[in-house]
Amino acid sequence: MTYTQTIDSFCEMKRLARSLASMFVRGRAMATSRTGAAQRPNGAPQTKVCQFKLVLLGESAVGKSSLVLRFVKGQFHEYQESTIGAAFLTQTVCLDDTTVKFEIWDTAGQERYHSLAPMYYRGAQAAIVVYDITNQDTFGRAKNWVKELQRQASPSIVIALAGNKSDLAAKRMVEFEEAQAYADENGLLFMETSAKTAMNVNDIFLAIANKLPKSEGVGGGPAAGARRLGDAEQQRSSSCCK
Amino acid sequence: MSGSSSVEDLPDQCKDLFTQDGVLLKACLGRPITDLNSIGMLCIVENHDNSKSIEWRPNDLITIDSDTQDQEWAVVNTIGISMSYAKGRRQRTFSGNITADYATARARIIRIPLEELKTFRVTRNNQQMQFSTKPGVWQTTFYFQHGNAEIFVASLKNHVKTAKTRHDRNTYVVVEPNTESQVLNKSFAELDIFTENTTDVVWNLVSNFKQRPYETTMEAFSKLTDIVYYGNEGASGKRDVSEEVADLLTKSMNEIDEATTVTTLTRQSDEYEVVTVNPMLPPRPVIPRGTPLSTEKWEGLQDTEGRVTEVDGVRQLIFRGGIARSIRHLVWKYLLDYYPWHMTHAQLKTLHKKRTEEYFTMKLQWRSMTEAQESRFAEYRERKNLVEKDVNRTDRTHPYYAGENNPNLLVLQDILMTYVMYNFDLGYVQGMSDILAPLLLLMGNEVDSFWCFVGFMDKIASNFEMDQAGMKHQLLQLQQLLMFVSPELANHLVQKDSGNMFFSFRWLLVWFKREFSHRDIMRLWEVLWTGLPCANFHLLIGVAILDAEKDVFISKDYGFTEILKHVNDLSMCLDVDKILSNAEGIYHQLVSSPNLPDQIRVTLGLPTINISTSTHSEADNNKPSTSRGTENGYPRI
Repeated sequence: MTYTQTIDSFCEMKRLARSLASMFVRGRAMATSRTGAAQRPNGAPQTKVCQFKLVLLGESAVGKSSLVLRFVKGQFHEYQESTIGAAFLTQTVCLDDTTVKFEIWDTAGQERYHSLAPMYYRGAQAAIVVYDITNQDTFGRAKNWVKELQRQASPSIVIALAGNKSDLAAKRMVEFEEAQAYADENGLLFMETSAKTAMNVNDIFLAIANKLPKSEGVGGGPAAGARRLGDAEQQRSSSCCK
Repeated sequence: MSGSSSVEDLPDQCKDLFTQDGVLLKACLGRPITDLNSIGMLCIVENHDNSKSIEWRPNDLITIDSDTQDQEWAVVNTIGISMSYAKGRRQRTFSGNITADYATARARIIRIPLEELKTFRVTRNNQQMQFSTKPGVWQTTFYFQHGNAEIFVASLKNHVKTAKTRHDRNTYVVVEPNTESQVLNKSFAELDIFTENTTDVVWNLVSNFKQRPYETTMEAFSKLTDIVYYGNEGASGKRDVSEEVADLLTKSMNEIDEATTVTTLTRQSDEYEVVTVNPMLPPRPVIPRGTPLSTEKWEGLQDTEGRVTEVDGVRQLIFRGGIARSIRHLVWKYLLDYYPWHMTHAQLKTLHKKRTEEYFTMKLQWRSMTEAQESRFAEYRERKNLVEKDVNRTDRTHPYYAGENNPNLLVLQDILMTYVMYNFDLGYVQGMSDILAPLLLLMGNEVDSFWCFVGFMDKIASNFEMDQAGMKHQLLQLQQLLMFVSPELANHLVQKDSGNMFFSFRWLLVWFKREFSHRDIMRLWEVLWTGLPCANFHLLIGVAILDAEKDVFISKDYGFTEILKHVNDLSMCLDVDKILSNAEGIYHQLVSSPNLPDQIRVTLGLPTINISTSTHSEADNNKPSTSRGTENGYPRI
């Protein structure tokens, strides 16, 4: 079993440090295995496996596919081609007592294909709304996505805001504080990320994994059991632990 | 459709095909002003004589039965309104003094026969619809209070053939009432890719087969003799179907006979027996690919002045084997309607000069835009942004576009920006750079690439339109084709919530560009541009790919996500020649199938069989023209 845990040195969220230490991003071999029969990589007793649908939204060319590619395959392509239709990838991360399998839907960003987005965010438990810190318009567009999700997506959806391309801070057009304030107002997770340097990429997915409810329920029914890692304030009606 | 109609004997009984509530009558020529601004229901109805109309009925004349219906409601009538199954409403009736109300009600209903409808347009943020039966006059104006007119328009388009006008994208011109409306009587609402319950769509499809006994009458059997004209065509030399194929098909005829389950029912009202045929396709013929069109052959097909004399022959050769690399850049100009086939070298030279000037005029339009102008031109800026973002990441792994500051990227950008000026309304949409990249790579010339791009875009512009209706329609057509060719797989997809075929969006949007290498995509595209052997052959390419993956999908019980992932992962793993050969085989299976539904015939540009009124004499059935009339007139894609 390979461990590809990479805790980024730039991690700005200290409150995550404790849990991060026990989190693992597992290799691809595990990522494709079916839920329920997952082996505990460290030999500890079997834990529950939670499967979550996560969708990436945001303006065209902000780096949605690059973030996914970095998270899932650890790769980066400077000239990542545009996404037509949608792409689907999976990645599994281990928290200390749960295994979280992300089913990641990567969407096309151009406004023309906006009408297809609901198909992907419908039923999603998490979303990463991405903007490009060097482009103010993409931040505005991100806010619109957040609004749309708040209005149309599952009420319990966990939304993270990612200010991508933080390696291009010299060309920054969106201030960190501005985005942080917006995220706070709207109850979003927020990080500035760089798919290119890998900064905060795993972290933002892990932060989401942490915030998602992990019930003891069987078969993906309504959350009935303890929500050990969940946010107590966030009332959620569903998770898909199996 | 629910039963329990109380209006069976009404002379003007009609059937609602689609209804939309909450529609305000805003204007109607020749109507008393008191009739205006009342709310009603806008419907598409089928009249007793099978003609269709758009009908608006004021709400105050329509009451809804409730389950706690009073006795006084016992006397009800529906003034020719039958059930609205679309909305699940039990029955719309009105009560009271039946004769007086009947007359009043009738007077207030607005009816526009589809046969008379000339144009309609959608304005005010999709909420207002206007209809015209006379050029230049909008007779009626409706305002949609609930939602917008989108679904109504989509539904209407199932019953009339429309074209958008060039000057106004919101105006539709009715080309002709769609005779296929019986078959296509399925609203876009059902097709809507956001619809959760895709089973309904398929159920309707299946029930259409079942409910159209004409499709499956004895005719079905006698149609098998149509196979014969394969032989005829082969002999006439026009078509390139080998005798081997004809043999195979003839053999398959016997096999069908053996494999077909026959149930005989008797219909009361007319003279023929209805036979249910277990739909089954003849075996798929294996059709080898040919060799590419060579320089010698190409030159041999032109006269001394350079006119291409044997256009059909050229298309046939290209369809069979593609084009040799050495002349590909030249022949593409013809296939993409940049060079007319009939022009001499001298005429082409003049044309080329003219097109070059035109190109640079349009290029100058945006090149000469100052920063200040640009700052006040948001729509232009937006398009420019989109182009820049995508050019930078188009085919960068190919040597022609690789590396920092590659000058070819600038050409790519210039062409796309000039196209924005050429077709500002469409603008730039993601996917277009994928379409252009192989063209420029091959042509190596800015002007030629531009005009070839224009030609290609003309074939697929509807893929990129704002409402995505073109894509939705193709996804439905693909689904219908698959349901006929491979019902097992199609049903599996439906069960797995993939009946919307969305996993094939990328295939259809850019004609498989992302699935093949540059070398292979050039081969595939040139074959598809021939328009042979039928319209929408690219959909059969999709069917061929899916059919080859059928066992994987089914044996691994792939669900929605796995299906999409698997389809995306097929990229660069597909054998273009094998797929072309399979797709052609599927085409032959389809055209030789005795019970090919009209909706598929429409998709493939085949003449429809209007069986409902025909008597099935031997003579009729042996006439090849009944189903093969447009031999060389296949609509261009």
